[in-house]
Amino acid sequence: MAEMVKLFVNGEEVEVESGKNLIDAIGAVGIEIPHLCYHPALGADGNCRMCLVGIEDGRPPVVPACKTPAREGMRVQLDTDNIKKIQRDIMEFELINHPVDCPICDQAGECKLQDYYMAHDLQDSRMRVPQVTKGKKMDFGCGVVHDQERCVVCGRCVRFTRQITKTGELGIINRTDAARVNIFPGRPLNNRYALNIVDLCPVGAMTSRDFRFKQRVWFLKKDKGICHGCARGCNIFIDHNREKYKDDVIYRYRPRLNSLVNGYFMCDEGRLSYKEENENRLTATMIEGKETSFEDGIQRIQQELNQAKKPLMLISPNSTLEQQWAVKRIATLYGARCSGYSEGYVKAGDGDDFLICDDKSANRRGLQLLDIDCERTTLEQALGECDLFISFDNDPFRFGNNEELRNAIAAKRVIAISSHENTMTEISKVALPVASYSEYDGTIVNINNVLQSFTRAVRKNEERIDILEVTRLLGGAVRDNAHAWPGMKTTVEELAEVHPDRIPAEGLQLSVSEESHVSA
Amino acid sequence: MEVKILSEKFDIENAHLLEVAKKHGAYSTLDKLFAMEPAAVTEEVKKSGLRGRGGAGFPAGVKWGFLPKDTGKPTYLAVNSDESEPATFKDRYILVRDPHMLLEGIIICCWAIGCNDVYIYIRGEYTTQVKVLQQAIDEAYAAGYLGDKVAGQDFRVDVTVHRGAGAYVCGEETALLESIEGKKGQPRSKPPFPAVEGLYSSPTIINNVQTIASLPFILTNGHEAYTAYGTEKSPGTHLFGISGHVEKPGMYELPLGLPLMEVIDKVAGGVWKGRKLKGVIPGGSSTPVLTVEEAKTVTLDYESMAAHKTMFGSGGIVVLDETVDCVKLVENLINFYHHESCGQCTPCREGLGWMKKITKKLLAGQGTLADVDLLRELCDNIEMKTVCVLSAACTMPVRSYLDKFRHEFEAYAIDNVSADAKLQGN
Amino acid sequence: MSDRSELIITGKPFAFDAERDAEFERLVKRYPIRESMILPALWLTQEQEGWISAEAMAYIADRIGTYASKVYEAATFYTMFNLEPKGQYHICVCRTLSCWLREKQEIVDYLAKEIGIRPGEISEDGRFSLEEVECLGHCGTAPVVQLNGEFHEEMDVDKMKALLATLK
Repeated sequence: MAEMVKLFVNGEEVEVESGKNLIDAIGAVGIEIPHLCYHPALGADGNCRMCLVGIEDGRPPVVPACKTPAREGMRVQLDTDNIKKIQRDIMEFELINHPVDCPICDQAGECKLQDYYMAHDLQDSRMRVPQVTKGKKMDFGCGVVHDQERCVVCGRCVRFTRQITKTGELGIINRTDAARVNIFPGRPLNNRYALNIVDLCPVGAMTSRDFRFKQRVWFLKKDKGICHGCARGCNIFIDHNREKYKDDVIYRYRPRLNSLVNGYFMCDEGRLSYKEENENRLTATMIEGKETSFEDGIQRIQQELNQAKKPLMLISPNSTLEQQWAVKRIATLYGARCSGYSEGYVKAGDGDDFLICDDKSANRRGLQLLDIDCERTTLEQALGECDLFISFDNDPFRFGNNEELRNAIAAKRVIAISSHENTMTEISKVALPVASYSEYDGTIVNINNVLQSFTRAVRKNEERIDILEVTRLLGGAVRDNAHAWPGMKTTVEELAEVHPDRIPAEGLQLSVSEESHVSA
Repeated sequence: MEVKILSEKFDIENAHLLEVAKKHGAYSTLDKLFAMEPAAVTEEVKKSGLRGRGGAGFPAGVKWGFLPKDTGKPTYLAVNSDESEPATFKDRYILVRDPHMLLEGIIICCWAIGCNDVYIYIRGEYTTQVKVLQQAIDEAYAAGYLGDKVAGQDFRVDVTVHRGAGAYVCGEETALLESIEGKKGQPRSKPPFPAVEGLYSSPTIINNVQTIASLPFILTNGHEAYTAYGTEKSPGTHLFGISGHVEKPGMYELPLGLPLMEVIDKVAGGVWKGRKLKGVIPGGSSTPVLTVEEAKTVTLDYESMAAHKTMFGSGGIVVLDETVDCVKLVENLINFYHHESCGQCTPCREGLGWMKKITKKLLAGQGTLADVDLLRELCDNIEMKTVCVLSAACTMPVRSYLDKFRHEFEAYAIDNVSADAKLQGN
Repeated sequence: MSDRSELIITGKPFAFDAERDAEFERLVKRYPIRESMILPALWLTQEQEGWISAEAMAYIADRIGTYASKVYEAATFYTMFNLEPKGQYHICVCRTLSCWLREKQEIVDYLAKEIGIRPGEISEDGRFSLEEVECLGHCGTAPVVQLNGEFHEEMDVDKMKALLATLK
């Protein structure tokens, strides 16, 4: 536990963490000190001057909160006329050369300049001389578009590329009011985290080419989710919207702070993986190439299962613990063998030392915890013996074809229960559409054994059920997510003490057992 | 009135050459120096009352005392030879006419503060000066005054010249450090102060050229010899630069405490062309202007300047004659500070450009009285809201012209002219 | 200051000549970190070429082992670094306080008339370039003019005329 100190904000006593800068320390008790350049992941720079606060009897009497550690007995002033005037003045300086093109700016609605103007300025412009003009819609690479005139030169983006990605593509060139962010000619942004700059930018200077002009942000529903792009499980906001007469569509992912998992950031690939939730979805139930109803699909699968002597069920490393458990249970019910084989989800060597993992599935640890065999040899042996092959949203050909395996699977009666159209649905006799991760609730365990739960964000016009529900329709005993837990808890030692409805927001660090060291 | 302490060798031909400088006593304090305990040297400097001659006037010995002990890191000395405050041109004389006095002072300082690595930060514009300085350094190395064994002692001093490249702000001590580190000259927030965390995050002392160059005299002759000049609180001499509208502009070494007008009239030959005096900038362009009345009562020392609500600064005196248009002068000043703003802090980056444009608008005959008021208000809104004092270096003098010569600004305002005309019409 | 972000891309690779290369290696030992070489390396480049191209900045960055953006920052922040070729005779007239008070404008006007270029321009034949610069630290001998780095003090139109005559 950090040492706590008592200090006063506007005369009121509050208890805050000692030594923390005043923005974070006081922010932790719900009092916001306005700031533009400071960001907890990038440290204090002190250039925007928006966080200047008064310190009663302090020397000097006015200090930048981002650079001032909280100390016992400090008397911090935020509401004096002097401080309010400073905040108004700084806002005026920020805005004199700003284009104020909010109606066409993507940042409108989540812009610090707008927020602070309303909170601290609210006066008419006194600028009656020509503004400084700078570059517009500059292509910085990696899908980042820059508007130098909207920029407040806080340098967050520059610090991000120097401190976090250590690629240093950006700099603030020139000086005085000619200062501006730029890339060096011929050396644009070239890192796998570049779009975080768009989130970091407190104003509309950095926009995402992907998101630009797609939606006004106040129409977006911002639901919490977890990225399924790799085994990190970065926490995200799923920003989606159902426009009139249209379907619920995801427009972007944004990273959501989780100090246990991803900090403030996420990779660009994961960020753009929202598209996979929108596109290429399996929408219709298909039986031998003919579209049919979902109910018919379920009935047919049941028939196939009843007739099969040696069914084999392939479980997805992307499925939730509850789904994996439910599949494992019906496998027992039907005397089927189970495999979690999913080498197709691994891109060896693709990961880095920051967030990106080689493993492009979200819950491989779940397969391991539930003791589901993932070996290729076991799969091949089982495949040779089986007379029915059912994939529960596992696409073994996700990153590239494997002719031999494909032929071996295609030679069987194949049922693909799938969220997306893929090789499995192509070679299947029966293809049954199911929900994808933005459309259901569940629990997953990331590469570092952090157990995280997430809830449904998107509701499609044509709602699809998830895998667990499919197993129930097939006669499985697991009724819902909650119902999966008692069984898992008694079977899996690491989950014995977990209360699924009490998983902390940041996730739960599971204890690492011997077995957990076995890699995928 | 003139004295020859620092400028003793300035008029000697080729005193920048080691051979000539040595004949006139260069490096003669070193024997005495190495016989002294470092702390005793600092003590001597403290007693001399030597104040930083860069502009801030902070007592040099006290500054040295801020260095933490036993940090396990090297201690650096950065000699500030950026000299870019308009009206300041004193250090240049030391660099060119007596560079060995500076190098000797560097050795003294290094001994006192336990430093081996020195960077002389010289402004890029001093193209010819840097050559003379480098030649002196090379000679000092060759003669064993610099290098691994200074004057045969087991004491290393390495001096490296680091050239600026056209940035006034690098005269600010932390901007100077950033510049040596290869970055833009953008001042750092304090704390931490450079004495604790300066160059390369190590303890660092930054002293002005003239401050360092004063050390050989103090050490040779003792602090009493130094305090014999000047006033009690502002002891010693200073290399004053007198420029602008005087008959004999130039650099003059004078004891502190002399009456300003006496210096202008007797040393600098009075206001040029027989014109009348309008005002005096006492210590570099960033110091508030003095009216004729104020100039009559002020003396050239830190205390009297403060009492007149201005500053001793760098001792760069600018004399303004009766023809000076204060609005145009303010435009010239704001142009400079706007050009030199490092662009880091919002108020300075955005505000100085705004002030510049308002002044231009007034001069173009398109401004109003509201613009004059706005200009005055912006001085307050910008000042002291920034990391360093560059913004104040602009707003302090501009405010002084607006307050003391407001009618000149109002005369440019269109609504003022029409108001006058209306009054006369009635 | 005006915007200095447009760099000239020559399309030709840049490298220090043998003399500058040796000087670079000598200087780099004087600093505990290589990034301290950004300003000295920019100076060496300017000494060698008279100005600094995008290729030169990239070379410096790679040579030092730092980001090109940092070299770009320094080259555009410090106004003495020429980002384009200057005239054979580069004339800088100080425009700040003391030189302004002592009528530097007469010199600027004279040069504009005589050479036909205004501050910031280069003559068509490439012989002259003119720039008005901030305080050069020669206020006591104002107005001051720098010609290819050499100071000329207490200037007036006649002296400027005489100086130009030596160049023709």
